[in-house]
Amino acid sequence: MSDVMMDGFVGTHAPARAVVYNDNVVKKFTIATIFWAVVAFLVGVVLALELCWPELNLGFSFTNFGRLRPVHTSGAIFAFGGSALFATSFYIVQRTCRTRLFGGEAMANFIFWGYQFFIVMAALSYVMGYSQGQEYAEPEWHLDLFLTVIWVSYAVVYIGTVLKREEPHIYVSNWFYMAFILTIAVLHLVNNVAMPVSVFSAKSYSAYSGVQNALIQWWYGHNAVGFFLTAAFLGMMYYFIPKQAGRPVYSYRLSVVHFWSLVFMYIWAGPHHLHYTSLPDWAQTLGMVFSIVLWMPSWGGMINGLMTLSGAWDKLRTDPALRFTVTSVGFYGMSTFEGPVMSIRSVNSLSHYTDWTIGHVHSGALGWVAFVSFGALYYLVPNLWKRSGMYSTKLISWHYWVATMGIVLYITSLWVAGIMQGLMWRAYDQFGFLQYSFSESVNAVHPYYVIRMLGGLLFLTGALIMVYNMVMTVYSSTTERREV
Amino acid sequence: MEEVSDIVVGIIMLILGGTGLFMASGALDNEIYIFGLSLAGFAAIFEFGLIRAYFDRKDAARHAGGGGHV
Repeated sequence: MSDVMMDGFVGTHAPARAVVYNDNVVKKFTIATIFWAVVAFLVGVVLALELCWPELNLGFSFTNFGRLRPVHTSGAIFAFGGSALFATSFYIVQRTCRTRLFGGEAMANFIFWGYQFFIVMAALSYVMGYSQGQEYAEPEWHLDLFLTVIWVSYAVVYIGTVLKREEPHIYVSNWFYMAFILTIAVLHLVNNVAMPVSVFSAKSYSAYSGVQNALIQWWYGHNAVGFFLTAAFLGMMYYFIPKQAGRPVYSYRLSVVHFWSLVFMYIWAGPHHLHYTSLPDWAQTLGMVFSIVLWMPSWGGMINGLMTLSGAWDKLRTDPALRFTVTSVGFYGMSTFEGPVMSIRSVNSLSHYTDWTIGHVHSGALGWVAFVSFGALYYLVPNLWKRSGMYSTKLISWHYWVATMGIVLYITSLWVAGIMQGLMWRAYDQFGFLQYSFSESVNAVHPYYVIRMLGGLLFLTGALIMVYNMVMTVYSSTTERREV
Repeated sequence: MEEVSDIVVGIIMLILGGTGLFMASGALDNEIYIFGLSLAGFAAIFEFGLIRAYFDRKDAARHAGGGGHV
């Protein structure tokens, strides 16, 4: 099945001619994805250990929870997830547009090395204690400006490639990736408007204050989830599930309908992060309503992904890489059900500020984002390095089960911990006093924090199995080269 | 396309590297000092990479055209 035939639009394109794709940059981003996955998961485990036994922060400023936490979140979202999105978007856009990347080798290399430079500099600034103090937008102004240069270059290369395509049709994955690129650009620019103290100082002050700052921050924060971690990874799903299953997308019309409804609705959902705050009531309700309505386009994507396997479900028995991708869609459906439920004001009164939220985020981050990325990596590595297949299918299966067990331990323990915290914080005695002190709720969740740490450790172990399998795939003589 | 791309990216890196040096020169805190110097170093290494890629391409074209070492 050709790349351009997956959408069912056949017979309209020009005769095929050989195109030399720029796969060097895809390979580099693939390696970066694998590297940052291990780093992000490792720091996550370290943080989970610190939460269980705080003395493990060793007493150094640069190893305390507050400084390492953004290293973990940025490492998982922007370093691991971002590199996976760069790799897959550059791979997909060239093949679905049947043309080489716009902008030449130098521009592609600039995007790769520039993005890696940004990640390293951002991580370094966090451990040194420099931060804007806004979740997922921690980098100070100078790093924000540098990232803007990289992101604009990315947009130029991606949109330039789409514009010079040799295919009349723009495949649906490209719509999702373009929505991601453009929206993240707008979110990043608006949320990070700040005045530096001096051009020679890292300290800056946001242009917004008080509740306006909170609203813009969560408009940014929730759409970082919506467009970075959802729309873009749906683009990945729409390419790799059909390729791995050998089936066309179940409903191309559904993909278009859920694309437009998703991008329209997601942008309004941010205020649900600010229930019971000084944000006007109507704005909180608006965010809640759009979050609930968002359920429909989210599940439209899930249904389309799963139904694409119609007639190919048997492949799940023999192809554990496909199992990763399909399970990721299941987790996507689950977390996009849980999210709207948690956005309902009365549910949020119980769940907010508890570890339920952390569990919810990780069911999306590990189950959806990481699993769909693993599925894509298992497809990409043998193809990019021209090997006959992965070194060991059994090891992929081990990775799958170890990682799945890790996620299950992680999210179930935090459901219990979170709901327990919420109930303890709202419990009153017969005199109207709080029944539990905060420290009692901290003690109560300790066993669940240990289970969460073990879940994270299993997930990290799975990633290390993947690294070994990938390295052996590239270097082992058993995965002999194909005829090119 | 490759030559145009080299020039555009080369100019961008030149500006970024110069900005990095400027920031490091008057840095009021460790963050800007480290960032500025790192940016300048990154830009310098990237410029060398561009130069190397240019001559690699010329070599490849000469070999593809049948020209060998004299």
